[in-house]
Amino acid sequence: MNAATGSGAGARRPKLFDRWLKRRARLDLPLTLAYRQIFILPTRFGWMLGVLMGAMLIGSLNFNNNLGLLTTFIVAATAINSMLLSFRNLNGLRLRHGTARPVHAGQPIAWQLAATNPDARHRAGLILRAADSAARFDVPANGTGKAVLQLPPRHRGWHRPGRLRIETTQPLGLFRAWSWIEPSSPFLVWPKPAEHAPPVPEGGDARHGQRSHAREEGEDFHSLRPWREGDPLHRIAWKASQRHQTLLSRQFRREQSREVFLNLERAPGRDQEERISVLTTWILRADDQGRPWTLELGGKRFGPARSEGHRHACLRALAEL
Amino acid sequence: MKRPHDHLPPGPVAWTVAAFLIAATPHLLAMPPVLGLVVVLTCAWRLVAAQRRWRLPPGWLRLILTLAAIALLAVSYGGLWGRRAATGLLCLMLAAKMLELYRIRDLRMVASVSLFLISAQFLFDEKFVYLVYLFGGVLAVFTALVRIQGVETGHAAPPGGERRFVRDGVFLLLAGLPVALILFVTFPRLAEPLWGLPDEVMDGKTGLSDSMSPGSISELFIDDSPAFRAEFEGSPPPPRQRYWRGPVLWRFDGDTWERSFLPSRTPAVNVPPSRGDLHYTVQLEPQERRWLFALDYPVTAPEQARISLDFQITRRDPVTTLTQYRMRSNPGFTDMPQLPETLRRLALDLPDDRNPRTLEMARDLRERFSDNRALIEHVLDWLREEPFFYSLEAPPLGRNGADEFLFDLRTGYCEYYASAFAVLMRGAGIPTRIVTGYQGGFWQESGQYLLVRNSDAHAWVEVWLDGSGWTRVDPTAAVSPARIQSGARTAAGDMAGLDWLRSLRNRYDRIQHLWNAWVLGFDAERQNRMMRFMGLPGLSSTGMALLMVATLGVVVLLVAWAWLRKPARSSDPVQRAWLRLQRRLRRRGLGPAIGETPLHWAERVAPRLSDGDKLLELAGLYCLIRYGERDESDLAREFIGGCRRLSDRRFAEPQALTGV
Repeated sequence: MNAATGSGAGARRPKLFDRWLKRRARLDLPLTLAYRQIFILPTRFGWMLGVLMGAMLIGSLNFNNNLGLLTTFIVAATAINSMLLSFRNLNGLRLRHGTARPVHAGQPIAWQLAATNPDARHRAGLILRAADSAARFDVPANGTGKAVLQLPPRHRGWHRPGRLRIETTQPLGLFRAWSWIEPSSPFLVWPKPAEHAPPVPEGGDARHGQRSHAREEGEDFHSLRPWREGDPLHRIAWKASQRHQTLLSRQFRREQSREVFLNLERAPGRDQEERISVLTTWILRADDQGRPWTLELGGKRFGPARSEGHRHACLRALAEL
Repeated sequence: MKRPHDHLPPGPVAWTVAAFLIAATPHLLAMPPVLGLVVVLTCAWRLVAAQRRWRLPPGWLRLILTLAAIALLAVSYGGLWGRRAATGLLCLMLAAKMLELYRIRDLRMVASVSLFLISAQFLFDEKFVYLVYLFGGVLAVFTALVRIQGVETGHAAPPGGERRFVRDGVFLLLAGLPVALILFVTFPRLAEPLWGLPDEVMDGKTGLSDSMSPGSISELFIDDSPAFRAEFEGSPPPPRQRYWRGPVLWRFDGDTWERSFLPSRTPAVNVPPSRGDLHYTVQLEPQERRWLFALDYPVTAPEQARISLDFQITRRDPVTTLTQYRMRSNPGFTDMPQLPETLRRLALDLPDDRNPRTLEMARDLRERFSDNRALIEHVLDWLREEPFFYSLEAPPLGRNGADEFLFDLRTGYCEYYASAFAVLMRGAGIPTRIVTGYQGGFWQESGQYLLVRNSDAHAWVEVWLDGSGWTRVDPTAAVSPARIQSGARTAAGDMAGLDWLRSLRNRYDRIQHLWNAWVLGFDAERQNRMMRFMGLPGLSSTGMALLMVATLGVVVLLVAWAWLRKPARSSDPVQRAWLRLQRRLRRRGLGPAIGETPLHWAERVAPRLSDGDKLLELAGLYCLIRYGERDESDLAREFIGGCRRLSDRRFAEPQALTGV
């Protein structure tokens, strides 16, 4: 099984920073953001305005221009306030849990973070950021909010999102307040389905193999059903059709239980990954075609069954392999 | 970097353009109208482009337009140096930026440089009314920034629409005021400027010039803006003594009177203080000249200024901001009982080939009067009796100015009279010089100060007489006593019937005076005085800075406390009471779990509380009020009271009873 990997942002940072960050505050969810978690620095625009204010200050001071100074000070005071407001926008926010629905390897992952706002104050303009994607979200007053972060596709297996940032530049974009989180709860990535997989192998498992073969020959009649396009002519029960004034097909036992037996040995492929991919495709196809399937994997048997739970269990087993 | 071609939404663009236009308005008005029009049209075009989602013009076109506008600016200002040209250039650059507003960053850039434009405007004018401009402009910029932030965080249309943004802007502005005021009061001021000022005239507002050729002050006479204000300790001097001395002119070349090197460079003799001295504070409006004005004769020079032999007070730097100085004048002083030979020669010098008729008259008078005083008296009588008129509308004079004025024209204002009179006196051998300055002023009864306007500019004559030294003679007063009593424009018959306007203006001037005294005149000296008043005398600028940091820290902490104190108050009193109750119980370890409904919580917790039944009841009430259909305002009061009264004591558990 793959070890959960940290995503870019945290991995490249020096170890010292990592250790300091971890010692400083809890990073795992659930988490209430507070003083120890929140960092704050001016944005690029903030620095620019700072330089501008410096120019305004020196100019006004030199000409002893009091109205110019007053303007400068109003801007400076607002900058200070906007720092407090940025901080406040994160402070007290409760991050409850984060998770992602399982997807196949190679598909983008939608990682969801749930946050609650215990305060009677709308928190707008929050951003959840990973190394190369971001999700904006709001948390209404006394309510909950949800951020959906698109993570890049991963290899099959269990993963953690790695280190993420929750940040905000409210209200003026002068300061960026942010908190690091490193959720420990993993999410699952199923194996990637093979693109050119052979058709689902017919027939049951080794144990029933001979019998089913015999049955195919023996025309083990089971029941009648209305004729469907594609039924071969020799299957039509002419007499019964005459009786019922409608075309009926004879159904044989083998057709009704077109059960699929799957294991790694039956799947073609150069290596294990390819076989797993083919198995994944077969499972999906069997599910699509409405056929129950059995998966035998490393001495464990799943099924036979055909349900969402069964599919998930099989895919999970394949992902963990 | 790839240039994104998706369009910025029109809302933030409109706000940014509006903020820029508000900030630029005074600059645009001072620009050549063509350029102002260019800026406004560019902004209008940008707005329409945002609305219609037009493509912005390509780079080469923008470059050509910008260069053309800058060239036009350079031509109309005669170069790009000087403050007006610099701010004009900034306006044009921002207007050019309008053509390439692509990103959020560009919007923010325009909005924040607009703040710079606002503060730059105060280099030109700091009148009280500009406070409206300051707050209006800053509010517009803040709103624009809030709006831009909305784009960045993806809030296209928030509840409440555009008004919400304005509300946020107002909130930010108001919240910033306490800290801004603290900074304003405590920020250490420079006692001296870091760099010099360009010798540039402010918006065409000139004070007195250092030379005089009849016809030159006339622009000042129409300018009704205040020149300075003076507050007296004790009663003000009577109108006929209110001669505010400015440049003193000695040299005359036939057309122009000018200052002379020697008397204006030599330091003044000491004027001894006396009991009858006038003590007063002058609040001088910026005028971009070095003169300080005082009544005769200044005893001590204000800081950074010196007094010359002919009692001109000049400052080291031009007066570019409102300047206050304290003065003491001894009106009883005799200036120069003995006239040195060099000065006598200077004060008698006349071009020989000018004004033959005046010189003829002077020789004639000299023969008739041996006494200088009698001669002067005679000339003043002559001016009074002959048909001389006082008028602000007088034609410029030709080569023989004094002749033309005294014998033909006979209509003019103080400069004409002073110049002609001085020529006559010098012709008669009496040492004479011309003093320009201000005369009179309006006594603001309610504000207890004297308001001297630029239109009070005046020129008069000083003659040197044996025994009384330099003596003031005002020929204009002989012709038009009203000029001395009530001001130039009244004397010229201008202000008839506009009394109410005048009184309105005087009332406004009072506000302006307070504004000047308390806001604009707040300099290093006043700051020190205030600190002394607050019990911190002799604070150095380092001490001042420390004080500033300390006060600032306290205020910011207070603001932080007010904002970060948890949890924020809900606006609904029922919700508030309920949350407060939850908080109290949470402290006892009985708080609601995440996602627990009020009723579930109450049911879970009630058995462990001594007041459990009441909690259940309250939870029911809460649900009724919050989710019920009827208006439950009477229930609300009961609910709030109940929440307050509920005891958070835990149910007495058996262990506690046994007292182990």
